[in-house]
Amino acid sequence: MTAVIQATLNGAMMGAMYGLTALGLTLIFGVMKVVNFAHGSLLMVGMFSAYWLIRLTGIHPYLALVIVPPVLFVFGYYLQDVVIKPVFKAEGQVREPLTVIIVTTGVWYVLDNLALMLFGAEYRTVRTAISNKSFALGQYIISIPKFSGFVVAILTAVGLAIFMRKTKTGKALRATSLDREAANLMGIDQYRVYNIAFGLGTAIAGIAGCVLIPFYYVYPSVGVVFDIRAFIIVVLGGLGSIPGALLGGLVIGLIESVFSQFMASTWTEAIIYAIFLIILFVKPSGFFGHKQDW
Amino acid sequence: MSRKQLDRTLLVLAALVAFALPLVVTSPTYLQILILLFFYAYLTTSWNLVGGFAGVLPLGHSVFVGIGAYASSILTLQYGISPWIGMLVGGLLAALIGIIIGLPTFRMRGAYFCLCTIAFAEGIRVMIENIDNIGPLRINGPRGLLIPLKDPSFWNYQFMSKLPYYYIILILLILVLGLTWFISRSKIGYYLAAGGEEPEAAAALGINVANYKLFAMAMSCFLTALAGTFYAQLMLYFYPKGLMGLDLSFEIAFIALIGGRGTIAGPVIGALLLRPLNEFTRIYLSDMLPGLHLVIFGLILILVMLYLPKGLTAPLAAIYDRLARKITVQGDAK
Repeated sequence: MTAVIQATLNGAMMGAMYGLTALGLTLIFGVMKVVNFAHGSLLMVGMFSAYWLIRLTGIHPYLALVIVPPVLFVFGYYLQDVVIKPVFKAEGQVREPLTVIIVTTGVWYVLDNLALMLFGAEYRTVRTAISNKSFALGQYIISIPKFSGFVVAILTAVGLAIFMRKTKTGKALRATSLDREAANLMGIDQYRVYNIAFGLGTAIAGIAGCVLIPFYYVYPSVGVVFDIRAFIIVVLGGLGSIPGALLGGLVIGLIESVFSQFMASTWTEAIIYAIFLIILFVKPSGFFGHKQDW
Repeated sequence: MSRKQLDRTLLVLAALVAFALPLVVTSPTYLQILILLFFYAYLTTSWNLVGGFAGVLPLGHSVFVGIGAYASSILTLQYGISPWIGMLVGGLLAALIGIIIGLPTFRMRGAYFCLCTIAFAEGIRVMIENIDNIGPLRINGPRGLLIPLKDPSFWNYQFMSKLPYYYIILILLILVLGLTWFISRSKIGYYLAAGGEEPEAAAALGINVANYKLFAMAMSCFLTALAGTFYAQLMLYFYPKGLMGLDLSFEIAFIALIGGRGTIAGPVIGALLLRPLNEFTRIYLSDMLPGLHLVIFGLILILVMLYLPKGLTAPLAAIYDRLARKITVQGDAK
C-alpha cells in the first residue's frame, strides 16, 4: 500500500509536468485550431535554454523562471509571425488548416536537429543545490524539485486562467477561439492574437523547461516523450481547455506511475494509448471540451 | 499530334525508361536505391487514396506496412505458406483494421483524426513490441522477425539478384497508379473529393461520405500492407520500431504533401525528388554534422508549404501545359 501511495504522489507530480506541457499545446489549439507538432521541440528549447543559463551563469535554477519564459515568448511570437502566419493566410478561412500542422512538423524537425547539430546527442543534466533534496511527508518521500514543478504547474494554470478571464488580451484570445470571423469584425487583429497565443504557449513550454531541468535529462529529442503524452492529454481534457489539460496531465501521470508498480513500464504506454482511444470513442470532446470542436 | 497523343506517348516513354533502367544501372547499391524510391512512391500513392482524395490526414500508415510484413512472414516462417498468399492475407487483414479504425474516426474533425491515427499506430506498435506470442503465432516482440534464406524462386519470393524485386515493385507501382487514375475519374473519386472539401454539402446532396471514405481507407490499407510484404522479402529482417514507427508514417505523408496530395503524379514526383535528396544528404552531410540532413528536410517542408501549398506538381503541371500547348499548336500548324 505504501508503495502505491508513494507511486501516486510521484505520478501526480510527473503528471503535473505533462499537464504543464499540454497547457501550452491546448492554448495554441484553442485559439488557432492548430495542433502544434513542434510543441515538444519548444519544450526542448526551453530546457536547453534553462540548462545553458544555469550552467554558464551558475544562478539558482528557479531564477531561470524569470528569464527563460519571456525569451521564449518572443521566440514563439516571431516563429508564428514569420513561419506559420503566411501558411495560415494562404489557407484562408478554412476551419482547421491542416497544412499548418505540416509546417509545425517541419519546425519540429528543424529545431530538434539543430539542437543535435549544436549540442550532440548526449543526455545532460545540471546538478544544482536542490537536485537531490527531498522532504518527508509522514512516511512518504517527496523530491523538492518535483514538488516545486507541481506547484509551478498549478500556479501557471491558475495564472493563465485569470489572464484569459480578466485581461483585454485574454478576452481577445477567447473571442478569437470562439469565432474567428466575429472577432475580426469586432476589430480584433486575428493574426496578432495568434502571435500572442503562440508566444504564450511557447513561454509555458519555457516554464516547463525550467522546472524540469533540475531533475530531468535534456537531449535533442526529449520533446517527443512529452509530445505524444501532451497530445493524449489535450484530447483527454478537451482540446482547448485549461483545467482539462491539468486534469488530463494528472490522470496520465497517475496511470503511468501506478500501473508501472504492477507491470513493465512499456506496457503502461500501451495502456495509456488504449485508454486514450476508449475516451476518444466514448466522449471525443474530453472532460471539458466543446462538442463542436471534434 | 494532339494533346492526348502527346500525353500518352510521354507516359509510354516513361514506362519504357523505367523498365529499361536496370540495363544501365547494374550496381546493386544503386538498384537498391531505385527499388526503395519506387517503394516509397508506391506507399505514398496508396496513402494518397485516403490522405489525398478523401481530404483527411492520416499519420499512422506505417502500422499497415507492419501488418503486411508480419502476416506474410509469420505464415511463411511457421506454416511454410508462400509470401504471395501471405501478402493477400496481410492486405485483407489491414483493410479490416483500416475499416475498424475508420468507422469511429471518420466522423472526427481534422486535428482529432490526425491524433487518433497516430495513437492507433503507436498503440499497435507498442503492443507488438511487448508481445512475444499471439496464441500460436510467434511475433518475437521488439526483436522482430528474421526470414531465413530459402531456394530462390518466384514462389518463395526470394531471388538471387535485386532485379526481380525491381520489377515487382515497378509493376506494383504502375498498377496502383492505374487504380488511382481510374478512381479519380470515376464517381467514387468525385464523391471522395466532394466529401473531403465540403462534407456537409456533400451529405446534403445525398452522398454517403462516410461509406466512400471507408472504402478508400480499406483499399489504401490493403495496398499499403502489400508493400509491407515486399519490404520483408527484400530485407529479410524487420522489427517493430524500424518498420512501424512514426518516422515512416510521417515520411509517407510528407512525400505526398511535397509532391502534391490528391494528384496522381504527386506521390511519384515527391518520391523522385525527396528520396534521392534524403539518401545523398544523409550519406554526405551526416558525417559532417549529425542532423543536418533532417534540418534541410524540415526546411524544404516549410518552404514548400509556404510557397507551394499545393505541392510541386501544380507548378510542374503548368510548365508541362505550356510546353505541350506549344508542341501541339506547332504540330497542328504543320
